[in-house]
Amino acid sequence: MDQRQQIEELVYRTCLALDEQDFKGFLELCDESFRYSIAAFSPEIRKDMTWLDHDKAGMDTLLTNLPRHNSDHSPLTRHATVYRVSCEGERADVVSALQVFRTALDGGSTALFAVGRYYDTVKLGGSAPKLLKRVVRLVTRELGAGYHIPF
Amino acid sequence: MFKNAAEWAAKPKFPNSHYVDSRIYTDPTIFEEEKEKLFKSSWIIACHESEIPGAYDYRLFTHPTGVPLIIVRGEDTKVRGFYNICPHRGNTILYDPAGNAKRMTCIFHAWSFDTCGNCIDISRAEQGYQNRYRKEDTGLRAVKTEVGFGGFVWVNLDDASCTLKDYIGPALDLLEPHMREPMEVFHFHKAVINTNYKLWHDTNSEFYHDFLHYFNRITGMMQPGYFDRKYVGYTNGHASVGSMEIKYDAYAGSKVRKIGWPGLAPGGWILIDLFPGMTYNLRTSVLRIDTSVPLGPNKVMIEFRGLGLKRDTPEERAERIFDHNTIWSPFGRNLHEDLLAVYGQGRAMHEGTDSRWVIHGREENSTIHDEIGMRHFYAEWSRRMGRPAYDPFREGRPEPARAVA
Repeated sequence: MDQRQQIEELVYRTCLALDEQDFKGFLELCDESFRYSIAAFSPEIRKDMTWLDHDKAGMDTLLTNLPRHNSDHSPLTRHATVYRVSCEGERADVVSALQVFRTALDGGSTALFAVGRYYDTVKLGGSAPKLLKRVVRLVTRELGAGYHIPF
Repeated sequence: MFKNAAEWAAKPKFPNSHYVDSRIYTDPTIFEEEKEKLFKSSWIIACHESEIPGAYDYRLFTHPTGVPLIIVRGEDTKVRGFYNICPHRGNTILYDPAGNAKRMTCIFHAWSFDTCGNCIDISRAEQGYQNRYRKEDTGLRAVKTEVGFGGFVWVNLDDASCTLKDYIGPALDLLEPHMREPMEVFHFHKAVINTNYKLWHDTNSEFYHDFLHYFNRITGMMQPGYFDRKYVGYTNGHASVGSMEIKYDAYAGSKVRKIGWPGLAPGGWILIDLFPGMTYNLRTSVLRIDTSVPLGPNKVMIEFRGLGLKRDTPEERAERIFDHNTIWSPFGRNLHEDLLAVYGQGRAMHEGTDSRWVIHGREENSTIHDEIGMRHFYAEWSRRMGRPAYDPFREGRPEPARAVA
């Protein structure tokens, strides 16, 4: 498998793991120095906003604590399309379009929940590429009641 | 014991002040009446002054009555409010939610207005109107606008309303020492939920629902001082809940908060509800402001703001944002739970579901799990609406024996 294909597959595997709520599997795709954030620009206050920001340990705790909280259990389906891969040395910057769909548990109707992009930094050079950093840059900002599981 | 239909419909075994008829949350007539009797003459937070820092900066706001507003800072730095409605053909004047406009020009026929609401240009005026109608004959509809109580911009659609100071009264005194420094909005988002706006305000007016929040149970409810927090009711239906020390490090992945807030004890928490749908929520290092904009009997849009201090260093601001996001962002632990709960109420209570009553009956000496905050709100609601919340259609039940505050 060539490098570009490996990188694309990494992005898609993170989507699959999160969709399946396989959080252990998701974190295994991330480097030890992994950083995850969700950001959005508000035209109302004309500012960039950060809505979630964790290192790998923080993500682990966030996901481990989930059963202790009351959450919307409607499953999400992430659809990513890798648009651009720029490799430099042992790193790659990857930009992917992201659509998140939410499916109602009762009846199974599916609606678009959010659109945005993944801005990923990928570590190359090991046996398999790993996610070093993911910024989920949301275009959608009205998320109803919100959601406990990161996109 | 389960209830049959008659028992389900029977009024609860509480004083009239301790429950409400569910139809106040669902009836379209009541909803329309609330806009006129409650929202039109109340002072409402439209935005914060930090959102319009410079001359000609503007911000749009949809008033809870449905009226679209422009909040704009003039060259003289004064903040004014106007209808975002062109007096010519009723078009929207400004479209973007915020921006900078020395001249506010309607895109339809290019009528222009200044930041004082004066019409400064009517395109081809003389050719069309000759001397019958001049720019001096028209202008934007101004609404009463004041800046105060932490630098928020408040509007009131009723030209004959009381002043903002009189409307708030002593309700924000508890927070006044903590709002002396200039603040700045760093977070804004809207949530549209299929529920009644009062159910959101109810949730902000009682802490019994801390059972909903794992975070609050272990950082608050299980800590000393939690059950000592007291409700105080004020004129015009406002209410406050005093502070306690939240033990943030009791939550895995959380930690003792370092940054704090001027004058607030470490881990402190003060919450003040303002009638009919706004909440100041100062917790540890962040001030959160909720403003409810009802969209229908069973639909509300809530504007959420997070504020820090204007003097924050980047490191301090980052810590406030982290604190905010842990519980209050769209991905935060508590906000999602709260919104899920009121969505559930809307789902169970909308017209036709045979929901009958909502009970506000807990009495615990006005402390944290007492439901006096809601009783205080509904006493004011009943007074302003001219309808008792326990019997809004006056179907024969007696008036309350006593007013409960």
